[in-house]
Amino acid sequence: MTMVDVLRRSELFSGLTYEQVKRIAAISEEAEYDKDDVVVQEGETGDEIYVVQEGMVRVLVSQGAIPDVPGPPQMKSIVELGPGQSFGEMALLDRGPRSATVRCVRDGTRLCIIPREALLSLCEEEPRIGFEVMRNIASDLSFKLRHRNLRVRLESGGRGP
Amino acid sequence: MIYKVSYVVVGGSHPGAIINEDEPPKVGDRVRLNGDQFEVVEVVDLLPPRDNFAYVHATCEPIEEAAEESTSP
Repeated sequence: MTMVDVLRRSELFSGLTYEQVKRIAAISEEAEYDKDDVVVQEGETGDEIYVVQEGMVRVLVSQGAIPDVPGPPQMKSIVELGPGQSFGEMALLDRGPRSATVRCVRDGTRLCIIPREALLSLCEEEPRIGFEVMRNIASDLSFKLRHRNLRVRLESGGRGP
Repeated sequence: MIYKVSYVVVGGSHPGAIINEDEPPKVGDRVRLNGDQFEVVEVVDLLPPRDNFAYVHATCEPIEEAAEESTSP
């Protein structure tokens, strides 16, 4: 599967033409990771958006240091993201530090990496691409929030949607 | 159509997953998430479809694999 095919299966680039997705692919690169490799570290700055091409990643957030307990803070798993899913988009929007750690859960996990500045330049140069990408990022963040809300509701004994 | 599925696991420690699927999940399906097997017990269309994407929620429960093996022929 080519990079264009991979990106066309991601909601992030839904509504774009093949040629428009090709322009996104042209500024992207691929990388392969092993199990337990950390792609994004909570608290660090980041300049890329990632799309899962193959494999799976797990999103974790720290629960803060526990008083009188030495060592790193406990990490809570939030969700796993499979092929077609994106992460790192919050840093694209707000330029803040990474809000979570993302770790690969399988050997051979392949990711498409899209540099923030190059993507923003393309969005400014081609407003149609910019509109679709920004709308899709908002939609994806909304979907993730719905997923988390459902999880909290079901874990506390409530019913589904 | 690409089905963007939010798998929410009830019971157990798995955090659930978001995965693009070529076919929508059905109640009774078995899915494997990070090595663990789960049964789909509820499927709901979460949002109206847009472009080439449908948005689906699936509630899953862990399958006791040891119990499963003991009942296999």
